[in-house]
Amino acid sequence: MTIKSRPIYAPFKLDVTGRVHLVVTNLAEAPVEVEEAVGDVLVWTVKTVAPGVPAPAARNLRPFRSVAELLPQLAVRLAQATVGLRIYAVGSEAFIWDAYNVAMGAGLDGAEVFTHHAGPFVRRVYCTHCRTMIEDVAVTIIPCPVCGAHLFVRDHFSRRLAAFMGVIVDAEVPGEIPAAEALIS
Amino acid sequence: MTLILKPAETFRGDYTYRNSDEAILRFPFPFPENIYMYAVNVEPHVRGGPTAAYDAVFDIDEHYVGDMADRAITLAEDPLRCQVLPHMAEAEWDTLELLMESLSSDYPEHFTLTKNGDEWHWVNRPLGIDEHFTFGRRETLPYGPFEYITRQVQGDFSIQDQRDGTLYMDGGMVTSQADWSLNFDIGMNFHEWHGPVPLAHEAGVFDRALQYLLRLQHGKPVRRLNWTLTANPRLDTSPENYPMWGAEKAEISPENVGHRMCLRVEVQTLTRLPRSNAILFGIRGYLIRLEELARVKKWALRMHRVIRDLHPLIIEYKGMPRYRQFIIDYLASFDDGTVLNSGTAPEQDSL
Repeated sequence: MTIKSRPIYAPFKLDVTGRVHLVVTNLAEAPVEVEEAVGDVLVWTVKTVAPGVPAPAARNLRPFRSVAELLPQLAVRLAQATVGLRIYAVGSEAFIWDAYNVAMGAGLDGAEVFTHHAGPFVRRVYCTHCRTMIEDVAVTIIPCPVCGAHLFVRDHFSRRLAAFMGVIVDAEVPGEIPAAEALIS
Repeated sequence: MTLILKPAETFRGDYTYRNSDEAILRFPFPFPENIYMYAVNVEPHVRGGPTAAYDAVFDIDEHYVGDMADRAITLAEDPLRCQVLPHMAEAEWDTLELLMESLSSDYPEHFTLTKNGDEWHWVNRPLGIDEHFTFGRRETLPYGPFEYITRQVQGDFSIQDQRDGTLYMDGGMVTSQADWSLNFDIGMNFHEWHGPVPLAHEAGVFDRALQYLLRLQHGKPVRRLNWTLTANPRLDTSPENYPMWGAEKAEISPENVGHRMCLRVEVQTLTRLPRSNAILFGIRGYLIRLEELARVKKWALRMHRVIRDLHPLIIEYKGMPRYRQFIIDYLASFDDGTVLNSGTAPEQDSL
């Protein structure tokens, strides 16, 4: 069964109508299809070589120490954006929609931002009760680390929150918690 | 007929909510046939229908004061139950105008709107509100215009922006929802926010409904019904607060099911707004205890047959497995096998 609110991701492809192309990824290396892309592509990655030390930058390549460092700099970069800039967010589902939302917040048009999933299909889960975000979830039921509710992960995805919906599973009879199963991709 | 409002009832805690005989007879019962399945089931929202609940454009009933007090409690605890995205400002004023005009026209003894250019005067007697404000200037109201007026009208509301060939839920006042979250769904398009509903996608219901709604014309609102079951007459059956009210579902027993279990019906209205071209989606909920509903013979029999023969996926989606058999057993005691007419009218004038 498909998840109606989960986006369908097309393979990476350069938009030829753009003049400047910026790929942002939460991965250490851009996927091979990005490396092979023709044209002048800037690539931002997340990669360290020692604690607190980013991997060396190279022509068109800029590694950051974390997603938390990368995304605010993306916002700064987009504040100076010129017409013709295209953003390609590549990586985990949570990351690509976080990056997409940064771009929208900077005033880009939806047609100027592309999202491409890469890596395992783990989910970010939003605790509907205490609003905590839980990263890298791969099973159907997880305890919220903040409020303690055992959350069932619904097949319902919000691009705005870049997360799936988690709702308490044993509210009716506390402790009546079904066994967790692996999430379908 | 003048509408008599009851003093504030409670929709939580001691649950003093009750329906008078008149309120029972005007209930918008949702099952015209003995079998229920999802369908587009949209019809013009014109005055008049099987019961008096269809007589006004936006229906106010005897529960008004307590209903609005409960909304205020919910908003005080969680202000994010009302959110509007910034580009929807025009739709907010559209909504305020539509609701003020409708209420003052349908219930002049309770609501009065006086316009002098953009200087408006709004009087809501049941809630003791007397407001002078400037239309189009949000700083002249104590809340944003959408929140201001939807704090004074029964039912949840969302405002839907039309663009890119679909509708986006870009604002709402949602304090009495059947297990969906505005804070989670805001900004989603039509197919996304309906994602969790079973069966209907595959049947093409949402594709057809969307095409219909995209062509909705100003001055020609439409409506449809939806329903679910609620343990106790609780308005705030939100997923956010499910940890606080979920246990009430497990307390339903064969002994208390008639008193506590409520049929919850939504009369959903869709109205094209004139300036913004957005759609105002009204979700007007009505609650009736099974023991109240069963005083109308046709409804008791019809409801028994619908719940007994419901599709398993709908039973699951509506959260019924725990107490469905109690409902069937309770209603079976009324069902003498009489063949029922199609339609939802009560077919009796008194109880």
